[in-house]
Order: sequence, then C-alpha cells, then structure tokens
Amino acid sequence: MFVRDVLCRFGDKIALDGVDLAIAPGEIRALLGPNGAGKTTFIRILCGLTKPEQGTVATTGRVGFVPSGDRSFYLRISCLENLIFFARLHGMRLRQARGRAREVLDAVGLADVANRPVGRCSHGMHKRLSVARALLISPEVLLVDEATHDLDPDGARRIRDLVRRLADDGTAVLWTTQRVDEVQGFADSVTLLLEGAVIFTGSPAELAARAPSDRYVIQVRTDEGGRPPSLAAVQLAVGPGTPIMPTNDAGYFVVAPRDPHGLGVAVARLVNGGFHITTCRQAQSEIEEAFLVLTGAAA
Amino acid sequence: MNVIRELPKLSAFVRRDFRIMLTYRVGALAGLFGIIVQVAALSFLGKLVEPSQMPVFDGTRSTYVEFVAIGLCLNMTVLLLLHELSRALRTEQLTGTLESLLVTPTRVGTMQFGSTLFNLLYVPLRLCLFLAVIAIVFGLDLHAGGILPATVLMLAFLPFLWGIGLIAAAAVLRFRRGSGAIGTGVAIVGIGSGVFFPLAVLPAWLAHLDAYNPLAIVLTSLRDALIGDAGWGALTTPMLELLPLALASVVTGIFVFRFFLVREQRLGTLGLY
Repeated sequence: MFVRDVLCRFGDKIALDGVDLAIAPGEIRALLGPNGAGKTTFIRILCGLTKPEQGTVATTGRVGFVPSGDRSFYLRISCLENLIFFARLHGMRLRQARGRAREVLDAVGLADVANRPVGRCSHGMHKRLSVARALLISPEVLLVDEATHDLDPDGARRIRDLVRRLADDGTAVLWTTQRVDEVQGFADSVTLLLEGAVIFTGSPAELAARAPSDRYVIQVRTDEGGRPPSLAAVQLAVGPGTPIMPTNDAGYFVVAPRDPHGLGVAVARLVNGGFHITTCRQAQSEIEEAFLVLTGAAA
Repeated sequence: MNVIRELPKLSAFVRRDFRIMLTYRVGALAGLFGIIVQVAALSFLGKLVEPSQMPVFDGTRSTYVEFVAIGLCLNMTVLLLLHELSRALRTEQLTGTLESLLVTPTRVGTMQFGSTLFNLLYVPLRLCLFLAVIAIVFGLDLHAGGILPATVLMLAFLPFLWGIGLIAAAAVLRFRRGSGAIGTGVAIVGIGSGVFFPLAVLPAWLAHLDAYNPLAIVLTSLRDALIGDAGWGALTTPMLELLPLALASVVTGIFVFRFFLVREQRLGTLGLY
C-alpha cells in the first residue's frame, strides 16, 4: 500500500497536508499522533470513507478495516449472524459465508460465543469480533483504528498478538494509536502525524533516539520508625528546582533532572542527606518522551 | 460491481432484518394486534356513515369499510416506503454500522433498497391480513377480478414513491432529522387524497387539486378496480398520468440523493450521527 501527497481539507481547516506513506507486506506501521493530528481522517481516506482533495492512494489487494468504536455491529443478533451478513456483502454465498464466519471466529478465539448476541459480549470481545470481520476477506492490508485505546492490558495484548500473527503471515498493517507505549516491541515502523503533516517516519528505535536524556522518579522515605522527612529537608538535599511530590505514605517522589548525570547526582544527594530510597523508576518510555518532544507537548 | 453481483446481497439484508425482527417478537405481534384493533374501530365508524352518502365506483356503491380499507392499504404502503427509504441510512448511522457497510464493496443504493426490502415483503403480508380480517368479520365485497389490475397499478406507482423517498432520504442525510415530518406529511396528503373520506366532502379547491395528485389518482383507480370491477380498461388513464410524474420523481430523487451523498462523503461526515 502506498499513499502519496494526500491533501484533505474540511472548510478552512487542513486535516492532512501532503501525507506520504508506504507499508510493505508483513510490516506493522504504527501511525502516532495527538488528538486532532489527522490519524482517523487518514485511515478513513484509506478505507474510502472520506475523499481527499488531492493525492494518490493505491493498495494492491483486499483491505480489511477495524474501526475504533464498538458500535459497528447489530447488537440484537449473534456474532455469527453479524459475520455472515458482512461476508455476504463481500460477495460470498450463504454457505461460504457461514463457513468463513466460523473460521474467523475460531481464529480470534470467539468460537464458543458464536451464537451469543453481540450486545451481550464484552468490550474486548467486540474488538476481537471487529478483527474477525476484517479477516473475512483474508486482507492483504489491514487498517486498525485505535483498537486498544479503551481495553485493559490483557485485552490490548490479545488484539496486538492477533494482529502480529496476521503480519507474520504477510499482511501489511497500519495501526493508529495514541498509546505510544505499545509501539515498542510491536510495530516495525512508526509514522508520526502532527496537525495533518508527517513529522517523523522511521523505526521505533529511531523514534526513541529522538528522546532527550531520561527522567527518573525516585521514591524517598525515612527509616522505619523515624519521623517523616519534611518537604523542605528533601528540597534542600536535592537542590532547588527539582520537582518533589508527596506520596500517600508520608514519603516523597523526587523527579531527577534531565541532564546526563541527573539520576546519579540526585541519588547521591538523597543518600548523603540521610534519606531512604525505596524505588527508582523511569518516568516515561523513550518513545513517549520522543512523542512529547516531537509534538511539542513536552514540559 | 454490477447489478448481478449486487442482487444476492439483497437477501443478506432481508435475512438480517428478519433475524432482528425475531428478537422483537412482542413488538411484531403487537403490530398485528394493532391491525385488528384498527379494523374494529373502522367498522364501528362505518356504522355512522349513511350508505347513500358513499361514492359509486364504476356503477357500484361502496360501503364505508370497503372504501376506507383500500385507502388505508395504500396509505400504509406510501408511509412505509417513504419512511423506510428515508431512514435506511439514518438507522445505520445511529446504530454505528454505516461505516462498516460502506467499507464493503456494496453500492449505497443496494444498502438502501436492501434495508427497505424486508418491510416491503412484510407489508403485503400485513395488508393481506388486514383485508382478510375485514373480509371475515365484516364481509368485504371486493372483486377478485380487480386484484391483478390493482397490483399492476400499485407496482406502477412504486417508482413515483421511490423518487419521493430518495428526496426524503437526501433531506434526512443532510439534516439528520425529518423522519417524523414524513409521517405528518403522509397523513396530511392522505386526508387530502381521499383515504378516509370521499373527495366530494373536501373543499372544492382541494378536490380540484386532486386531479394532479398521484395518490388521489391511484386511489380512485384502485377503488374502481376492486369495488367497481372496472377491469384493465380503467388503468389506461391513470397509468398515462403516472408515467411522467414517476419519471420526474425518480430523476429528481436520484440527483438530489447523490448530491447530498457526495457532499457528506467529501466532508467525511457520512458515518457520523
């Protein structure tokens, strides 16, 4: 699939401004961007739901679409009946549609709820059913719009695993998301959209390299039985300008500065000041940092 | 994507709507019960009407029940077709399924017709039940020889209705509202077309207008065929009158609907409610 110089305007607002993108078979390309960046407009253009003002959209093969909402099925009828209906709109005969619907329900792990009305299925099941519907036509290109944004971690992982298996079988996947944390280890490449324009294209590792030095959160307490440290004492130890936030258990979070030695300096000062460090963790993933920096949302 | 490819998809829509109807069994039964209540109400009303006041169709004087039964059958068909056509895409918008339909290789016209088809098939069934109940309980005296000409006339009337339905669908697509207005409009047109009363009791200017009113033209011809046994000969004039109206209605309907459909697609708001 490739897209070249796509321009889309809604009134005075430019939704997409000269967007280029290509996805190879077997590749998962994550399309990142803040709210209003143009991700959904872009995917709608690829599906043919919105017409661009100019540009070329070319796909070789069948295109499957997993929409973001969970209201894309007929809730009163069963998962199986829904899939049979959509399969027939793709030109399958009834017998063939029924067989294919059962196959894809099995593939997404919903065979045991095939006859359950969609309205009685969980949110995670709806998502898997959406993937199943996209699979009806054995897509060569799969467009996934915010599939995991409101799923619990286990539900999100199941969807990603499902899509990863499809990509491993040669499907080209465009995966739009705001969950920047899920890109690492899942997507093969990343395109970052901002205000309708592509501001980054590359691998997740290349995106992470755009992140500034890491920021760490250090949790501080006094020794057991001792008096809780005062905010002023912690601030004095780490120096002015370092953010400090109280915890729920009479301790503090200290956010280490972003310079290359920030973590070491902060830890040394706290230890020298007699404080007890209970945990130390990375504040955000590198991808998330890079996302914030590139989109101008970093503090 | 040709017509041959699209035809089998229509049965998918019928199957879907039948399955959905089965989940609303009480509602479906209530609808049938409503028909029986309607018939009872009509019969009592009919007792108040002096038979000599009723119009004569091709030499035969009708009873009020016969007169109004035919009127209601036509009115129900008009209301259903306009309502179903106009709300077909709107319903999909509201349920959130329209975009999922649009990404399939299915024409919008197929979606619209397919979503209307189940009711189009179901309504004749309800009309037959309606007429059967009247015939059994009140002794409806319709001429069997008029059924075929009446059916042909109804089929000839459908293109006109289809065009009006497309215009209504375009309005609903654009403004997201208007289904309620269709019911009101059909009720007003029904009263003015002689569904419930003979045209003679209407004001003279309105009765005059009915010479150009397709619903009134069809209704009078249906009554001629079914009550008066006028046969095929009674069809020539109304068919000739309907033909240009149907043509104008369909052409305008297609043009207006396509215009608003393309507009919604361009704005990216077609799937939104």
